[in-house]
Amino acid sequence: ETKWDMPTPYGDAVFHTQNIMQFAAAVKEATGGELSITVHSANSLFGHAEIKDAVRRGLAPIGEILISRMANEDPVFGVDSIPFLAASYEDAEKLWKASREDIAAKLDEQGLTLLFAVPWPGQSLYVNEEVTSTDQMQGVSFRAYNAATERLAQLMGAVPTQVEAGDIPTAFSTGRVSAMITSPSTGASSKAWDFVSHYIDTQAWLPKNMVIVNKQAFDALPEEQQKAVRDAAAEAESRGWEMSEAETAEKIQVLTDNGMQVSAPSETLKEQLGAIGQTMTDEWLAEAGDEGKAIVDAYRAM
Amino acid sequence: MAVETLSVILLVALFAFLATGLWVGFALMAVAWIAMTVATSVPPGTVFATKVWGALNIWDLTALPMFLWMGEILFRSNLSRNMFAGLAPLTRRLPGGLLHVNILGCALFAAVSGSSAATTATIGRMSLPELEKRGYDTRMAIGTLAGSGTFGFLIPPSIILIVYGAATEQSIARLFIAGIVPGLMLAALFAGYTAIWAMMHRERMPQADSAHDEAGKLRAFMGLAPTIGLIIAVIGSIYAGLASPTEAAVIGVIGALILASASGEFGRTAFTESLLRATRTSCMIAFILAGAAFLTVAMGFTGVPRSLAGWIGEQGFSPYVLIAALVIFFIILGCFLDGISIVVLTVSVILPMVQAAGIDTIWFGIFLVLVVEMSQITPPVGFNLFVLQSVTGRNIFEIARYAAPFFALMVLATALLTAFPEIALWLPRTMMAR
Amino acid sequence: MRRFLNGLYAISLGLSALCLTLIAILVAAQIAGRVGDRILLAFGTDAVGLAVPSLAEIGGFLFVAASTLALAPTLKSASHVRVTVLAAALGAKGARVLDSAMLAGATVLAVFAAWHSTLQLIDSWKFGSVSYGVVPVPLWIPQAAMSAGFVVLAIAVVDELVTLLRGGVPDFRREEEGRDAVSGAVE
Ligand code: NA
Ligand code: NA
Repeated sequence: ETKWDMPTPYGDAVFHTQNIMQFAAAVKEATGGELSITVHSANSLFGHAEIKDAVRRGLAPIGEILISRMANEDPVFGVDSIPFLAASYEDAEKLWKASREDIAAKLDEQGLTLLFAVPWPGQSLYVNEEVTSTDQMQGVSFRAYNAATERLAQLMGAVPTQVEAGDIPTAFSTGRVSAMITSPSTGASSKAWDFVSHYIDTQAWLPKNMVIVNKQAFDALPEEQQKAVRDAAAEAESRGWEMSEAETAEKIQVLTDNGMQVSAPSETLKEQLGAIGQTMTDEWLAEAGDEGKAIVDAYRAM
Repeated sequence: MAVETLSVILLVALFAFLATGLWVGFALMAVAWIAMTVATSVPPGTVFATKVWGALNIWDLTALPMFLWMGEILFRSNLSRNMFAGLAPLTRRLPGGLLHVNILGCALFAAVSGSSAATTATIGRMSLPELEKRGYDTRMAIGTLAGSGTFGFLIPPSIILIVYGAATEQSIARLFIAGIVPGLMLAALFAGYTAIWAMMHRERMPQADSAHDEAGKLRAFMGLAPTIGLIIAVIGSIYAGLASPTEAAVIGVIGALILASASGEFGRTAFTESLLRATRTSCMIAFILAGAAFLTVAMGFTGVPRSLAGWIGEQGFSPYVLIAALVIFFIILGCFLDGISIVVLTVSVILPMVQAAGIDTIWFGIFLVLVVEMSQITPPVGFNLFVLQSVTGRNIFEIARYAAPFFALMVLATALLTAFPEIALWLPRTMMAR
Repeated sequence: MRRFLNGLYAISLGLSALCLTLIAILVAAQIAGRVGDRILLAFGTDAVGLAVPSLAEIGGFLFVAASTLALAPTLKSASHVRVTVLAAALGAKGARVLDSAMLAGATVLAVFAAWHSTLQLIDSWKFGSVSYGVVPVPLWIPQAAMSAGFVVLAIAVVDELVTLLRGGVPDFRREEEGRDAVSGAVE
């Protein structure tokens, strides 16, 4: 009987965590209880920043992280966080098909096996007025939390402002920031209507969480247990994508119900953001080289 | 190994290590090492390094040394003395006199600092020597401070509420607002108790300051101005959007440096001393945090807190009995683990049973903070006790004894909060109604 | 040897204090940037967004460095908290025996901490681990500070144990006794 501890970054109410709970239950069921996974949600075992190394070093055999957290290690991990490269579920799925093997190979080099990945709902703008053109973003302090969001802010003409996740409500209510880009899930759970009025449904990119397993620990499992894990992972992936899409509609409804002005981006804004997306894609390609080009070409050919 | 056996072994080990006089950080590390070696197959050393790195590599923690430094600067200039001189005439007629400064000072400071340890250390460094000098009862001075220091978590901003809000998908803004009234209620309970105690123990209260003439009063009162200015600058920098709560601590340092230099009593030696003393105190707290983080992850791997919490869930208690059972559970756990660890380790198991019992999750967050605050002053593992041992040189059990009445008041506050949930829920509902 | 060791502790404490000062300076620069932006906006020009890149991450790293580098000097100055109730009850001779046992245990733990934080540092260095924010900081740099802090702590604990076994009074005991005398005088 094998017992695995699984650190994950998000709370129990988040659909990613719920999907992982179902994955763990499916593994237990399929292996007749021979392999059981205890999910330690909400950073309770290891913090988000430590989970990848904890799995790599074999402290926890399996874990979940946001893929783009590793973008500073290799640009390939940042491919799902390029704004407006794949701004819908359909495109995000294509991009994932085009990039999956490269990402799996990079992880394999670290002794990690990729099991599955599930996207967050698209990243959309939270602002304090109806923004129809990036002209309105000039000089607006915009929350940046990594290199990509900082660059996005700059290209929009906004002022990138570092704000940690827990500090967002205070930063908005005191005026340190007045715009951010995040998913409707995060908007709804942080009750964004308490401090910001407009939601513009750009769905700029759909960043993914992935579940990774320590290769040694995985290879040590008997053949049929490996298969059970793989099967449960495949199921979790397709279930997770469905959950994510359902979540998008559901959480936008929550924003509307609580009085936020929800709108689609205007044609002008779409065009401007598309141009910014092209710039950021080019910049990413310059960084990611031939490998990156192969991914983007494959994606665009689909 | 059965959870019961393991728990007993670990408890005995913790008491034994502490009794030998092993430094607290080391003692927690040793217990964690035993837990991991006995009950898990994970390599303890690698976990130690990973976890200590992760537990200290936290931006919000940088406010701790900054506030400590601010306190050391104020302590070394004449500012804290002037502040007490200014407050003395104001509190002359109030039963309990300057003891209330501990309560009020902590409540004010808690509005800037998210941590109880920083609150206790900073206020304590300034107030305890002044109170002692003025002949106040040491036990009561330490007790009020130990109790009031815990406001750091309840009055926003609060590290625990951020952790709870992130883990349970609650709005941190609402949790913060929900903490305000309970925080003020607790402060009122402490102040009321202090006043009653003072009336009943007149022999242990100092002689009232000789009445000043009006000019003397005014002069003393003017001495308050710099400190009030500093408080306004720190809080104001947050509300003006110029600094995050973490960054505001540095405004405190800079402000204190300016005021101290202006006072003329603060030279280069005092500057160096203030910095080095803050460095050491911050390190003292960080070392215990590191040990506590290692113990927390060990507990996560062994699953002891989870299964204990799960056991409560299986009993099928009615809501009030469940709350009572949780209070006892948290008080016991709080003796041995630090508060944030308890929330992190058990919330995943406890929240579903709380929701099943129909208990409001915002209310439960405030309830959790109240019971976790108690853990700050229960021996042997209580951060306020460690901080106060370091400030006063008295041992933690002695300090815990002085803090006991305030512990009882926190239990009372929890009972009031349970009987009248509106204490927590009214303000967020009113303020957030759209 | 004595001078070398005392110098080592002093440098360690100095570096720790320097890290804290750096935090204060960087945060002050960040706030000044925001104030500057407000002023520019007030004069009708665009804000420039002056900010310290990756301040939150760098602040965290500096806090780790400050916390660990000060471990040894903090121990020497008896600023780390411990429970001395049993030692006080045992009398001078008993306390020395207890302290020896305690320091032996502390030595094991400090060496454990130093060893494993060094392994972590080597792992990060070999692996090329970098931080996640705007500025990709190689993690081995702050982890080297952490490792150094625990190594100096281990040295300090052994130093105290050797002093005690040679019949001397360890620094932390002398500090504690001095403090007891002071607080005894006040009462
Ligand atoms: Na607070
Ligand atoms: Na406690």
